[in-house]
Amino acid sequence: MSSPTSIDDEPSAMQPAPVVLEKCSSREDNFPHLKSSSNPRSGSGVRFIKKFMDDADGSDDYTELKHSLITKRRLSDGHRSKIQQLNYEKSRLLNLPTEVLLQIFHYLDRKDLYALLTVCREFADLIIEILWFRPNMQNDHSFKYIKEIMELPREKTHWDYRLFIKRLNLSFMTKLVDDHLLSLFTGCPKLERLTLVNCNKLTYKPITQVLQNCERLQSIDLTGVADVRDEIIDTLAANCKRLQGLYAPGCGKVSESSIINLIRSCPMLKRLKFNNSEKITDETILAMHENCKSLVEIDLHNCPNVTNKHLRSVFSSLLQLREFRISNAAGITDQLLELLPDEYCLEKLRIVDITGCNAITDKLVEKLVICAPRLRNVVLSKCMQITDASLRALSQLGRSLHYVHLGHCASITDFGVASLVRSCHRIQYIDLACCSQLTDWTLVELANLPRLRRIGLVKCNLISDTGIMELVRRRGEQDCLERIHLSYCTNLSLGPIQVLLNNCPKLTHLSLTGIHAFLRREITQYCRDPPADFSEQQKNQFCVFSGNGVNQLRQHLNMVLTDGHFNVQHGNDMNAVQDRRRRFMNGQNVMAAAAAAAAIMGNDRQGVLPDEMMEEDNDTATTNNNDTTTNMDTVESTNGNGSGIANGDRNLRNFMRQRFRLMAAPEMQQNPEMAAINREIFRELNQGNMNPNEMREHFNRLLQAQQGILEQQTDTAGQAQAQGAAPQLGMMQIQPNQQPDTPVNMTGFQEYAQQFNFMRRMALRQDNVPNGGGQRDEEGGLRITQRGSNLHPRGTDLQPNTPQIDQPAVFPNQNAAPNVDLNELDSGDEDAEMEPTLLFPPIQ
Amino acid sequence: MNGERFPVEPKVAEKSVLIKNMIRDLNPDGLQEDFEIPTPNVRANVMNKVLEWCTHHKDTAFSEDDDDDARRASPVDEWDKNFLKVDQEMLYEIITAANYLNIRPLLDSGCKVVAEMIRNKSPVELRRVFNIVNDFTPEEELALKKENEWAEDR
Repeated sequence: MSSPTSIDDEPSAMQPAPVVLEKCSSREDNFPHLKSSSNPRSGSGVRFIKKFMDDADGSDDYTELKHSLITKRRLSDGHRSKIQQLNYEKSRLLNLPTEVLLQIFHYLDRKDLYALLTVCREFADLIIEILWFRPNMQNDHSFKYIKEIMELPREKTHWDYRLFIKRLNLSFMTKLVDDHLLSLFTGCPKLERLTLVNCNKLTYKPITQVLQNCERLQSIDLTGVADVRDEIIDTLAANCKRLQGLYAPGCGKVSESSIINLIRSCPMLKRLKFNNSEKITDETILAMHENCKSLVEIDLHNCPNVTNKHLRSVFSSLLQLREFRISNAAGITDQLLELLPDEYCLEKLRIVDITGCNAITDKLVEKLVICAPRLRNVVLSKCMQITDASLRALSQLGRSLHYVHLGHCASITDFGVASLVRSCHRIQYIDLACCSQLTDWTLVELANLPRLRRIGLVKCNLISDTGIMELVRRRGEQDCLERIHLSYCTNLSLGPIQVLLNNCPKLTHLSLTGIHAFLRREITQYCRDPPADFSEQQKNQFCVFSGNGVNQLRQHLNMVLTDGHFNVQHGNDMNAVQDRRRRFMNGQNVMAAAAAAAAIMGNDRQGVLPDEMMEEDNDTATTNNNDTTTNMDTVESTNGNGSGIANGDRNLRNFMRQRFRLMAAPEMQQNPEMAAINREIFRELNQGNMNPNEMREHFNRLLQAQQGILEQQTDTAGQAQAQGAAPQLGMMQIQPNQQPDTPVNMTGFQEYAQQFNFMRRMALRQDNVPNGGGQRDEEGGLRITQRGSNLHPRGTDLQPNTPQIDQPAVFPNQNAAPNVDLNELDSGDEDAEMEPTLLFPPIQ
Repeated sequence: MNGERFPVEPKVAEKSVLIKNMIRDLNPDGLQEDFEIPTPNVRANVMNKVLEWCTHHKDTAFSEDDDDDARRASPVDEWDKNFLKVDQEMLYEIITAANYLNIRPLLDSGCKVVAEMIRNKSPVELRRVFNIVNDFTPEEELALKKENEWAEDR
């Protein structure tokens, strides 16, 4: 499966961002002012540190400092100078027990500690260690000062500050970190944590110098350090026997013998990250298995030569494992967990990432879910053999699952997504990029996730405007969504995105790369710059909004598209779809289910479900809608060009107004007769007194009756319009006359026309040929050119499969599940949607 | 110490974890009759204050939250703030007593009040407020200031 490289503008679509799900105990820091800020550049450094704190057996090592200070002060009791003694006697504050003083300091900011530092020796002795416990290298100012102090000979300073440093994090000012700077920190014997994330100027030499004699080192993060070599790993192995964590994702140059030596030398290792290395093989894994009994994290991203061989034993012996990641390793197969019993044994396992391991199938996922039912993060992207069966298995994780990435699992369908989402309602992050079978139904399902923060649907190009509108309508205002990736969902247009933007105030990222409707200067001016290494063509397609760009896009769309007409009514109306589903699922016998399916089948001909008919099939709105359709087609068929920008915008407004009338007018009056018909349909369905064929006939009768009513009403409405009662319509009709003068540029109007036609094709789709509706389009155009005299457009619509713009997105995968002969319905295949237990064929 | 007695109901006394544990250890079958607990490290007038606090808060449910950040962020209870408007001597004695008797919410409030007294003051002001004389040589003081200037957080 090939994907355009330009998709890579969406890193999160392709590689899941690491998420720290465990609540990090903030006991890490009794002195939060010393804590690393949430500076984004801190990158994994902060997370890394926090993770280590999690592991620290409940005893945070600031406690250790506290105790050592208490002891130190007690020991110095007898050695006060005269003046100190005087202070001690006079000032009641100094008489407070050391632990109380430390607690008071806890409530102070660093600058207040600095002021206290020079008050008297008694305080200075306590505070100096607190300040240098973790020197602040987070801003230019303090970075510069600390560097100056470190450059002084150590005997020239009042204290040898290197003796106090336990945490050193240089990942805030990486541009200033070079070999010279790091070498200044040589000889910090108490160093426990060294974080060098993205310090890419560093060579291996100063790193090895700093590590000399650091026998207390617990963790080192070399993420983003380019020059990771054997020397570094060997120094670690020789000096840092108490090492617990090593992140060295760029270890491609390191020989396997060095790595194995390290693993053998450091039995306390808990977290290991070796990525992008072809040198790492099963031998490394064997060493881990034999020597590191407390591993909780193994990250082997892009280590292609690792296989099941010893990982199987690792899984069967390291039951405390929390995180496991591997990718692009062909030797990872369904046998990975075969040594484990079929029961809940991996109690701690929370994160599993098996990206691009194409040998694995649903079987592994099924086993995994049994062994590790408390998984939170599951990444199976680019595992091509994964199907809906995996999603059904994952659905057993229930509320545990928060994060799921299934990008490029092209076999999965709406059914799989539905079963997953309905069980795992705590999902916050879902990525389904390039799952090209997914339709709007997926969006309908995703709307039910209350905590959802990120949606990835890059290249799910069956997704349409309707799906977006449904998503928004069902999710409601003040949505918690933060990041939405819709690049290459080529059918989307402006209006629904505007609605989406207006209902998601927390949105910080919206990607719309490669969607024609948005690739216009007035919109792309707000998108962020494409990556420098993009080709010209990729740059032209690029359309990603982040941060303030999202706000600007929202403002722009709100300015261009008229207000009030696209408001989504967040009412109970659409819950009806779910109600219906529930009712069906509660059906007492198979016949009911079959009848339900039959109803769907019959109903599908109109593309509207009973509920929707009841609620939405308002005569005027529908007629208007159709009129718009016809006019749009007229425009397109008469003249391939669009109108000028100004007209385009106005038309666009009108078009959108028409277009979303159905959705935007919830106050539409109920047609009492239709309501009665619908009630009858439902009664029959629920009671299940009809066989499928009867059902179909009955249904057709009802529909005919409905058409009769509609026709009458259309008549009236049509006449009203013929008299020019509908101003928007007038505008539309004038449109063709303006065509010759207008520029040839593609305008929004025409784009909408195209989008619209695509929608119609989608609605028409009844077989597996995506463009099957093309012919019909032309018919439509013809029919529509005659429309002026034909005031009974619905008459022609009596044919089956009439295009319905707002076809509810409850028919997933029409392609995948083509209409089935009604006689086959008893087999239980087609009522899948209604009956989740029958939803999927039994697992082979 | 002074031989004074403070009759209190158990609910009040048990605000002190020290006393609570003592009662539990001495009366494994539950408290049957009155008994005395010596608190040798606490002066009578301080004990009075502490008991006043305990009585006021006898029905307050304090969070058992060990989260230091949360404790740090929460402001001092208004009543406590007024209650602790006493001279420094008394304030430190209350804090010391709370520390000894293990009454964490009172200790927290006391420490926060002291921290408030320290905040945003220069070393000279701090010495005046807390009655401390400068025991550094001028050279030492200068070096100390210069070498830790980074901590000023400008």
